[in-house]
Amino acid sequence: MKLELGYVFIKDIQFAEVSKVENGTLYVNRDEVKALILEDQNFKSADVELARPGESIRIMPVKDVIEPRVKVEGPGGIFPGTINKVETVGSGKTNVLKGAAVVTTGKIVGFQEGIIDMTGPGAEYTPFSKLNNLVLVCEPVDGLKQHEHEKALRFAGYKVAVYLGELARALTPDEVHTYETPTLVEGIKLYPELPRVAYVCMLQSQGLMHDTYVYGVDAKQIVPTLIYPTEVMDGAIASGNCVSACDKNTTYHHLNNPVIYDLFDEHGKTLNFVGVIITNENVYLADKERSSNWSSKLAEYLGVDGVVVSEEGFGNPDTDLIMNCKKIEAKGIKTVLITDEYAGRDGTSQSLADADVKADAVVTGGNANMVIDLPAMDKVIGYPEVADIIAGGFDGSLHADGSITAELQVITGATNEMGFNKLSAR
Amino acid sequence: MIITNNELVYSKYKDDYDILFLDGTYRDVLVKTRDKVHEGYELLTHPLSSSIKPNETPYKSVIISDIKGNLNYNSVIIIENSIMTFDKFNLNKIKNINEKMKEDFKLIDLTVLKSALNI
Repeated sequence: MKLELGYVFIKDIQFAEVSKVENGTLYVNRDEVKALILEDQNFKSADVELARPGESIRIMPVKDVIEPRVKVEGPGGIFPGTINKVETVGSGKTNVLKGAAVVTTGKIVGFQEGIIDMTGPGAEYTPFSKLNNLVLVCEPVDGLKQHEHEKALRFAGYKVAVYLGELARALTPDEVHTYETPTLVEGIKLYPELPRVAYVCMLQSQGLMHDTYVYGVDAKQIVPTLIYPTEVMDGAIASGNCVSACDKNTTYHHLNNPVIYDLFDEHGKTLNFVGVIITNENVYLADKERSSNWSSKLAEYLGVDGVVVSEEGFGNPDTDLIMNCKKIEAKGIKTVLITDEYAGRDGTSQSLADADVKADAVVTGGNANMVIDLPAMDKVIGYPEVADIIAGGFDGSLHADGSITAELQVITGATNEMGFNKLSAR
Repeated sequence: MIITNNELVYSKYKDDYDILFLDGTYRDVLVKTRDKVHEGYELLTHPLSSSIKPNETPYKSVIISDIKGNLNYNSVIIIENSIMTFDKFNLNKIKNINEKMKEDFKLIDLTVLKSALNI
C-alpha cells in the first residue's frame, strides 16, 4: 500500500470573507465554521478563535487537536467510519495543511484537562504551540448528557478539520513524501540483511472520555489486529480520549505518529519496517491477557526481530505495557517501550505502576508530576476558571494574577508516549 | 464481587451483583481489595482503571472474583503496586471539588466499571 503525503505549509491563519489557502496563509470564514458546528442541534452556540505561535494566549481545557487533511486521490476519505464512509484508506494521495490545527475545547464534566500556551515556558512543553490553531468553543444545550456532549464535540472537531482540509484539495503541495508498505512476502525479500521491526500501538479504551476509534469502531471491542501504517495517516484511528492531557494521544498525534514516520525513515537503512499492530487498554484483566497474547502472537507471526511498543495514559495501561513486553520478549523478540513517568514531584518514586526485568529498553516522555509555573497570558480561550480543578492542578493552582502553578500533566501533549515532543534531556 | 465507595454503582448493581459498599475513600477501596486478595480472591479489573488520577476522583470501584481460591500472585502484585502508586499523589485537590464534579466522577467510575461488566 502506497500513499503520497503532500504538505501545504501554513505559516499564518486569519479570518476572511472566503475560506482559502493563499501564499502560506490559511483564511477562514468564521461564520461558515460556526454554522458547520451548529448543524449539530446539541450545541446552542459556538465561537471560533485564532491562536498563533508566539501570541500571549492560553487555550483551556483542550479536548482534541486535529490536523486538516484531504484525500485527493485513492479510495475513501479522511476519518473513515466516522466522518467518511468505511472505505479502506491509506493509498493514493493526501494533502495536509502542515502547520495548522483545529483545537476543540469544552467542559464536558466538572473536572478538566489540558492547557496549550502559545508563548512562555508552557509553550515549550507542547508541540501545539508551534501551530496556527483554529480553536472551537462550543456550548452544549442545557441538560445534554456527558456521553452525547463528548461525541458532539469530537465530531465538531472532525467536521471543521475536514472542512479546512478540503481547501487544500486543488493545491500543489510544497513538499511530497511517499510512504509504502509492500506485502509481507515482498517485504522479506527487500532487505534480508536488516532486522525486521514492527510497531505495537496501544490505544486507550477504558470507557467514557477514555476511548479511541478504529474505522469508527470503539477500540475496546477489537482484538489486536494489523493495520497498514499509511491507513493511520488518513485518519483510520481517531481519538475520543479526553483524560490525562499530558500523555493522551490526540487525533493529531495519531495522524502524525512519530514512531511510524521514524520507522519509515529508517526503512531500508537500518531496519526493515514490517507493519503496525494495534491493541487496546481495557479495564478487565482478562481482556488485558487476551490482547497481550494476541499482540505477541501477531509479532511472532510477522517473524520480526524487534518491536517498538507505545503506551497511552497512566496507571492501568502500565499493566498492558508490561504484559505486551513480557509476552513479546518470551517469543524471542526484542522490545523497546515508550512511556512516561509519574515519579513524584521530586522524581524519586517508582515511575510506573508495573514493571518487569524484561522491560530493559525504555524511552520516557518525561515526569508528569514535575511542578511548573505558567505566567498569566493576555488572553484565555475557553474557560480559565477551571484551572483549580484541572488534572495536575491543585487547590490554589490559579493565582489572582492569572498565573498557574501545577504539575506538568496539565499541558496537552507534554509527556506524550509516542515521543511527540520538542524537548529532550540530550 | 464489586468493592466500591460509589453510591451510583451500588444503587445500579445492588440487585445483580454481590457488592461490598464502603463509606470511605478511594484508598479504603484499594486496601479492602488488598485484604480480599490476601484472603485468596482474584482481582478481575485493574484497581487504577481510568486515567483520572487518584488525587482527582474520590470514587473507585474494583471487581474481584466471587470465589475464593489459592493466593493469586499476579493479583497481589497489581494491588500492591496500585496502592504504592496511589500514595505518590498529593491529595490536596480532592478537598476542592463541588457536588456537580462529584456526580461526574461517580458517572465516570460507573462507565469504566460498566465497560468491564458488559463483556
